[in-house]
Amino acid sequence: MTERTVPPLTVEAATVRYRDQVAVRSVTLSVPRGEVLALAGPNGSGKSTLLRAIAGLEPLAGGSVRILGRPLRSFSLRERARMVAWMPQEEAPGDNVPLLDYVRYGRFAHVPPLAAEREADERAVMAALADADVTTFACRGILELSGGERQRARLARVLAQETPVLLLDEATAHLDVGHQLDLLGRIRKIACRDGRAVIVALHDLNLAARFADRVAVLSHGQLVAEGAPPAILSPELLARVWGIVAVVRRDAATGLPYLIPQLPLGPEPASVHLPRRPKVHVVAGGGTGIPYLRRLVEEGYDVSAGALPLFDSDTEAAEELGVPVAVEIPFAPLGLEARARNRVLLASAGAIVVAPFPVGPSNLANLEDLREFVPRIPIFLIDPPHGTSLEFADGRATEVREELARRGGVRVESVDALVAALAARLRGPNDATDGPPGQG
Amino acid sequence: MAVTSPPRDALATIPPLRRPRRWLVLAALLVGLALLVVLSTIIGPLTGTQIIPWSTVLWIVGYHLTAGLLPSAPCPPSIHGLECTVQTEIVWGARFPPLLLAVLVGAALGISGGALQGVFRNPLVDPYLLGLSTGAAVGASILFTFNLAPAQQATFLPVLAFLGALVPGTVVYLAAGGRARSIETLLLTGVALNFLFAALLDALLLYNPSSGVQVNFWLLGGLSDATWTRDGIVFGVLLIAGTAIALHGRSLNVLQLGRDVAESVGVDARRTTRRIIVLSTVLTAVAVAFSGVIGFVGLVSPHVVRRMVGPDYRLVLPISGLFGATFLVLAWDLAQSVVPSVVIPVGIPTAFAGAPFFLYLLYRRGGLRGGGRSAG
Repeated sequence: MTERTVPPLTVEAATVRYRDQVAVRSVTLSVPRGEVLALAGPNGSGKSTLLRAIAGLEPLAGGSVRILGRPLRSFSLRERARMVAWMPQEEAPGDNVPLLDYVRYGRFAHVPPLAAEREADERAVMAALADADVTTFACRGILELSGGERQRARLARVLAQETPVLLLDEATAHLDVGHQLDLLGRIRKIACRDGRAVIVALHDLNLAARFADRVAVLSHGQLVAEGAPPAILSPELLARVWGIVAVVRRDAATGLPYLIPQLPLGPEPASVHLPRRPKVHVVAGGGTGIPYLRRLVEEGYDVSAGALPLFDSDTEAAEELGVPVAVEIPFAPLGLEARARNRVLLASAGAIVVAPFPVGPSNLANLEDLREFVPRIPIFLIDPPHGTSLEFADGRATEVREELARRGGVRVESVDALVAALAARLRGPNDATDGPPGQG
Repeated sequence: MAVTSPPRDALATIPPLRRPRRWLVLAALLVGLALLVVLSTIIGPLTGTQIIPWSTVLWIVGYHLTAGLLPSAPCPPSIHGLECTVQTEIVWGARFPPLLLAVLVGAALGISGGALQGVFRNPLVDPYLLGLSTGAAVGASILFTFNLAPAQQATFLPVLAFLGALVPGTVVYLAAGGRARSIETLLLTGVALNFLFAALLDALLLYNPSSGVQVNFWLLGGLSDATWTRDGIVFGVLLIAGTAIALHGRSLNVLQLGRDVAESVGVDARRTTRRIIVLSTVLTAVAVAFSGVIGFVGLVSPHVVRRMVGPDYRLVLPISGLFGATFLVLAWDLAQSVVPSVVIPVGIPTAFAGAPFFLYLLYRRGGLRGGGRSAG
């Protein structure tokens, strides 16, 4: 029963040199039966080299690779081809052989030398064709297929090898999003059904999170993170490994993380030809911001909003109006990520509008975060209608509102009053009437 | 609600696996080529400076091929005694061995050309363009120049030719193994080697003009020196080396996807490359030793064959052999009959057919850098 318990693939402290440089440094990982491991990392982080080493195409400078507990080095070339299948990133175009013959190449190591394919080989080929959904093209020339079809043909070729370990290098490169999902879905299903150990090198972390049981992240040849996608995909990791600012959210339906990369915060693009629209950020909640968002957009302001829960009516209105929002998942206190994104929007705003929204412990941060911008950015506080209280945070909300007003915040009572005050402050007397300069 | 359609599923599980038409075409092709070889071997003995009626030729060839079974007399009834001996000597003793040599050498060049194209994954190489043939010629001509072992020439010629071909063979192997194995490098290496060995050959032959062998023979090929012994040697080598090469068809197929993919599937790319180059060098050497440098047979044959049967090397290799045999026999017939009473070097007709073909291939690919491989 060791067959069941020994993982198909274990890599222990593997070090690989590539052109006099250490491309992979002491990587240790193991892939159990039926698991899909996504190998992520920036370009040149050693993903391909690691896969090549596991496939036996690069010698190990240190450590070991074991297939079903046996060292990779102890296998002959043909034995190895029955243990590990490798789908490269790029492949020589080769001849225009019929797809069926191409998939049969995968059986090379199963067919004894100088013998013909036997029934078992043909069965494996047919199964691989069906799994990759290319049976219909079986007689077409491989060079006549479209990109998506050819990628599936290549998958069929490695599946036909019937190996316990499957290595797919950039399996989704050059594929459109539909083909990416389709291909990874197939791989996922096959891994589960046959109990194969699969490593997929992927650039798309959202796909990795969606299809992989675990993600291993390589950076400069070293394993820097490994684990289930929700556990390891964090803004910190993305910043550290890829050098990007990204928001990581959870898919409300699946709970899986997905990330939205942000444009690097550099100098704003030159907008010489367009009149600069003043930016206004609206802090709201519970639908209190809707009249302000709508009116400000109508008035031609560049409006943003936040931080708001995902299904809040303010959020929905903002999305409808095309207003960018810093969003948090519903029924949760504002997290650091949502606040960070909100602060980015706040920092670039020309003015801040605080709608009369009810403040409780979960969204108190929205008010508190405003304090750092107060003297610098003009702030407009909308007073609540008479007799209503916005206080659900033990007096803290009122306290912060008072402080903001004290430090230069302008109190206004209605939408019209706000628009007038904003125009006076942001556009100056000449621009306020929409007329050509100098007319007023 | 449950409107499932089992017939559709059933259809989906029956792929059109067998393609009978292809096999039919293939069989027809094989038979056709074999017939062509037989036909040209019959036409062949007709051509020559002395005219012998075709019925007599058929009679004599038939008598000897069937070991005296079909026509039970060595000559037709109208030919008697000494005349019979003379005509038998001309047809069977003088005209048939070169013809057989043409078959064998053509097959050897066709197979090694196909194998080299497979191993280099390039349709523009053949033993001649890579310099193997000229290297072999230099090796063989050493034997004449220094008049070594005059009694065992038939044995030593191929050995020395092989040693001579090993030099360009090694260079080509290193060029193939190195990282920078572009086709430009490979072909230009072949060009340079060809120049070098042609100069060496000239030097050797000038050093000893009385060696009795013409430069023409070595540089343009000739089959007139064929004997039954030499045919036997070429046949033996072709049988062993040619079969060994043909058995690599499956490996060569996979090798077309690149060395790494080939290795991941279980093909020892390095060993296959080494073996194919050594075996092709052997075949080329033995062909050159007895027939000189005959160009373009190895280039043209695999191409035409790929057009006919597709890219499967398991078929391309043996059929290239058959095609090469046909090609060279026809060239030999032409070489004997195009100018009355003069036998021109057989490399001339092959070059006339092959060189334009090479140019055509070169320009159809859009020059050396053109990425597209011939799909045919």
